[in-house]
Amino acid sequence: MTKRFYIAIFKINARRCWHLHGPKAGIHGWGAYIPIYRLPLSEIAKVWGWSPGQYEGLDVVEKAVASSDEDSVTMAYEAALNAIKRARIEPKKIGAIFFGTESKPYAVKPSATIIGEALGITPYTMASDMEFACRAGSEGLRSLIGMVDSGLIEFGLAIGSDTAQANPGDVLEFTAASGAAAFVIGPSENASAIVEDSVTFVTDTPDFWRRATQPYPLHGEGFTGEPAYFYHIENAVRALLEKTGLKPGDFDYAIFHQPNGKFPVKVGKGLGFTIDQMKDGLVTPMIGNTYNASALMGLAKVLDKARPGEKILLAPFGSGAGSDAYYIRVTDSIEERKALAPSVGDYLDRKVLIDYGMYSKARSIIHVIK
Amino acid sequence: MAMDLSISRFWRKKVSLYRLYGSRCKACGKVHYPPKKACPYCGSRDLELIELPKKGKLLSYTTIYAVPEGARLKSPIYFGLIDLGVTKVVAELTDVVDKNSLKEGIEVEAVLRKTHEDRDSGLIYYLLKFRPAMVHR
Amino acid sequence: MVVYIEGVGLTKVGRHYGLSIKDLAAQVAFNAIEQVGEPEGIDYLIFSSALAPLQDNQLDIAGYVSSYIGLRGIRALNVEAGEASGLAAISIAKSLLESHQADKVLVIGAEKLTEYVSSKAYKQLQMLYDSDLRSFYNIGFAADAALLMRLYMNTYDVDRETLSYWPALMHSNAKENPYAMLRFAIKPDRVSKSQILADPITLLDAYPIGDGAAAVIVSSKDVVKAPLAKVTAIESSTGLGEIELLDDPLIFDSLLNAYRKLSSIADVSQIDFMEIHDSFTIVAPIILESIGLAERGKAPELIAEGHFSLNGDKPLINPSGGLKARGHPIGATGVYQVAESALQISGEFSGIKVDNARRGLVISLNGLGSNSYVALLEGV
Repeated sequence: MTKRFYIAIFKINARRCWHLHGPKAGIHGWGAYIPIYRLPLSEIAKVWGWSPGQYEGLDVVEKAVASSDEDSVTMAYEAALNAIKRARIEPKKIGAIFFGTESKPYAVKPSATIIGEALGITPYTMASDMEFACRAGSEGLRSLIGMVDSGLIEFGLAIGSDTAQANPGDVLEFTAASGAAAFVIGPSENASAIVEDSVTFVTDTPDFWRRATQPYPLHGEGFTGEPAYFYHIENAVRALLEKTGLKPGDFDYAIFHQPNGKFPVKVGKGLGFTIDQMKDGLVTPMIGNTYNASALMGLAKVLDKARPGEKILLAPFGSGAGSDAYYIRVTDSIEERKALAPSVGDYLDRKVLIDYGMYSKARSIIHVIK
Repeated sequence: MAMDLSISRFWRKKVSLYRLYGSRCKACGKVHYPPKKACPYCGSRDLELIELPKKGKLLSYTTIYAVPEGARLKSPIYFGLIDLGVTKVVAELTDVVDKNSLKEGIEVEAVLRKTHEDRDSGLIYYLLKFRPAMVHR
Repeated sequence: MVVYIEGVGLTKVGRHYGLSIKDLAAQVAFNAIEQVGEPEGIDYLIFSSALAPLQDNQLDIAGYVSSYIGLRGIRALNVEAGEASGLAAISIAKSLLESHQADKVLVIGAEKLTEYVSSKAYKQLQMLYDSDLRSFYNIGFAADAALLMRLYMNTYDVDRETLSYWPALMHSNAKENPYAMLRFAIKPDRVSKSQILADPITLLDAYPIGDGAAAVIVSSKDVVKAPLAKVTAIESSTGLGEIELLDDPLIFDSLLNAYRKLSSIADVSQIDFMEIHDSFTIVAPIILESIGLAERGKAPELIAEGHFSLNGDKPLINPSGGLKARGHPIGATGVYQVAESALQISGEFSGIKVDNARRGLVISLNGLGSNSYVALLEGV
């Protein structure tokens, strides 16, 4: 046997074993929150003079609207509370709180400490607010895997929460919605689902951004598609599949970042996934794009029904741009956790329709002298 | 400075306002919220902090239209008297779709919400309000 | 020790944009002083204003008013107990006289509530309730009373329309009182139809926002010349003013306590009339039930049937029109009540006259009873 032969064998085995030796952690608890109010997209079209054809293609019916006493912090609180209930741990065991959002109430002042204090997690904990457009919550999730596996912390809390803003009259207004999702990450033992492997793929691609003092973002229209959303998700997912040796058909669920009802289905099909695999992870058609809670809420919705042994692909995306891809495997432990907190379905069912006037008041887009 | 509200006055009360911590008198057993320095019932100073239940029953309520300065944008304000079992509390009510959703005896649950925003550059204040309890399969 | 009311001054409660709090105080002080002849002999000024620091940017109002009205060098103090400030001030005056630290006390209650727009007044009036929690809410001034009203109606199965007889009665009384702010009659069924403040409390269930001032000169037996009435006894008690802390929120525990204390030191039988603290419609029946003048849950019925009206079989309540219609300039109210009672007893009240008014009870409380004051006034 030649030296080259042994090196080749070593490399093949190393690649196959790569994910077995990489850091691993589990999702102990998951939770979501959706505000009660919904604005039908037809209301937006009526006010701003859009024709049906200009928005029906988004495949979104209504969007969730946070009330005037809600923001990304209050929504994160409830999603995290639900996750902690399912994790069945004392809040003080959480050693890191990563709050991913692009609608921070303060430019400077951590929201993570407000949530940490309100949930009884503080003071011995890491805490910070993260930004990477819609994938900040996911960056938090990925970071926690390493922190838990290395023993730096016992449990961590990753949250994605947004009260997404869009310039009134802009096409983005149809889908910019409010919601939150949260996950308690801990050791693989006793977890409801194990994050077996994950990959992140980022480039400097400015498809969508908001300058520091501006209230609303700008975007590159078509540029947000192929060069951004599709390119990064496809690359992240393909890298994950190669790394793990899995194929699209091996997964029971495929959940993608969902800026509207069309894109996730398109990117999924392009990668070889079926609508059957994708349907349970879709939330945007019912409530709009909750930005940092978009893919993550899809994950929460899937976990609400997933069965032991099932495999989940999760691919969040954030503008600027980047995508993650996760391979998550459900364990036996999941069944006893489901009923411990409201499900995404419970929040979807809890809805009250409002008109553009109430929406304007709730989201403070009417100019008033205070 | 463009601030109307005190930072420290709220901050001191975090454990009550964020987490619904009340006080139980070890002498007479009665509970009150928020915590005072002596039992308002028997006068004893032998008190301990306890976390109150976050769910209760609505005993009385009102829909407020005569709102104070600064609250115009939030009108109407809903306010209720809630029985948590160990004690009663008053709190603003939220997620009230219309005044007909409020009735004596309905279950209400605590949620974290904003209460004040101090102008454009001051702090945002959060505390627990109560909403009609969610139906949870 | 009994003390005597010798001179009184009143202004009409209303929107006195042209008069400052000191101007209002001066007006009534001069009236009262005129009745005793001269300011010489007045050795103490007790002021009662709850909102002077907020509405008029004035602390130590007693100090500044004394020179404003020509009494520089007098001993002076402001007394504050929220809505009960006025009666509290009278009780301090009585104590000073009893302890011989003064012989003739000028008590002035004055308040302005119209210096700012109403939403600011609502925010300031919220301070009458416990601030540990309520100061962080956006509930305004009628929130607790609204909770209480609904609780009362549901507990005793008393309907909205029965309660409306109270404001109607107050308006009817106030119509005769030239110092009252609201001098128009209303029918009971109009009350529930008026603007909702905090349901079920409507505009006609709540005291009006207005300015006012009242003054009385309280003298010791040694120096009094021509008394209008005597203040036989005053008692007070603090209590749990928070509706959520009371096991039985439909009784004002502080008032029950204050009244018990008063009955143990004075004869409170055969009361001819009362001036009570009807800040909101619901407070009146609860006051009556707290002091045992009506069975629990029955006061609204008795009011509606006219038992407390002129020609009723029970003491006449609020001949002045009460807080509801005469008005409620917070810190001044208690002084109004005492001045009106003294005039009633001496037969000089310019509104509804009670025949043979020999004994009158004055009841003042703060909020829903964090503090309650009760005074017995009698003829000399």
